[in-house]
Amino acid sequence: MSGDKHFNADRVFVILFILTAIEVAFGILGGRAYLNFPKAIFWGGLIGIAIWKGLLIAWYFMHLKFEGWIVKGLILPTPFLIMVIFGYVIPDVADEESNLVHPVGSQLEHTSGAVYEHMADREAALGGGHGGGH
Amino acid sequence: MASNYPAYDPAVDAPLHHHPVYDYDSGPPVERGKFAIWLFLATEVMFFSGLIGSYIVLRSATDTWPNPEDRLAVNLTSFNTFVLIVSSWLMVKALFAAERGDRAGILKWLGLTILGGCLFVSIQVYEYWHQYHNELWPSTDLFWGTFYVMTGFHGIHVVVGLIWLICAWVAAARGKYTSTNFQGLELAGLYWHFVDLVWVLLFTIVYLF
Repeated sequence: MSGDKHFNADRVFVILFILTAIEVAFGILGGRAYLNFPKAIFWGGLIGIAIWKGLLIAWYFMHLKFEGWIVKGLILPTPFLIMVIFGYVIPDVADEESNLVHPVGSQLEHTSGAVYEHMADREAALGGGHGGGH
Repeated sequence: MASNYPAYDPAVDAPLHHHPVYDYDSGPPVERGKFAIWLFLATEVMFFSGLIGSYIVLRSATDTWPNPEDRLAVNLTSFNTFVLIVSSWLMVKALFAAERGDRAGILKWLGLTILGGCLFVSIQVYEYWHQYHNELWPSTDLFWGTFYVMTGFHGIHVVVGLIWLICAWVAAARGKYTSTNFQGLELAGLYWHFVDLVWVLLFTIVYLF
């Protein structure tokens, strides 16, 4: 590493700190039902801030900004590969009707072995003091 | 033992039609250690992408996913996120000290980085311990299953990073790093920043979504 890789690390740190504070506040408050945030804005805002922070860390703290084409060529294809992975899961995400005997979201009660297809059923059963399932 | 033969003199002894000697490295135009660590980090990106992709599939197929705030200590983990970001910043300070050839500075900043990492792991262990006492296992339900897999794998990476940083600290204490040669420290720092970067994304997805 040579001396020409200096940047204002304190400034980047302060930006990361402020972004994290905004993200936490947005995440906690946005999850409250009374605010009734549209999910697209809520999730999009959170993931946007997280990606912004990740890019700051990679670009400055990991010195990606100062690296040559070899290092950038190694790491830059990964976002496209990630999109390929997420592209493959889209059919599973889009199809809400599962063919599994128990839907993926079923909740297993490990003490009794009962399977609840909805978490609310499980919590109601446990709250009622009896462990029977569907 | 002294040789009976005179010293090798290329002007006299070199064969007339010898192979040319190249004065450049035939490898890629980047330090090999850095090339290797970035290649490794690229595979790590794909590893965590697989985990996050699986989480998205499982969660989207679930009708009722609980609000993480109802089940997790979001405030405590938010503090832990700040701790890891501070630790990453301290690592940059340690590298700047290495560039100046400031051994005491390396030891101070790297030591603080390690302390930050230890605090992060301690808080995560405390969180796991709390859940253990409440009988919340990976098998309890899908929420806890995905939670333990993602945070657990990240925690293992943090521990590996801490061991690496401690080795770098010992090397610095022995005077191994100079202002022109501190690649070992730089590689450990790259890994540590990567661990921080992954946590930034995991924290958002697991604790805030």
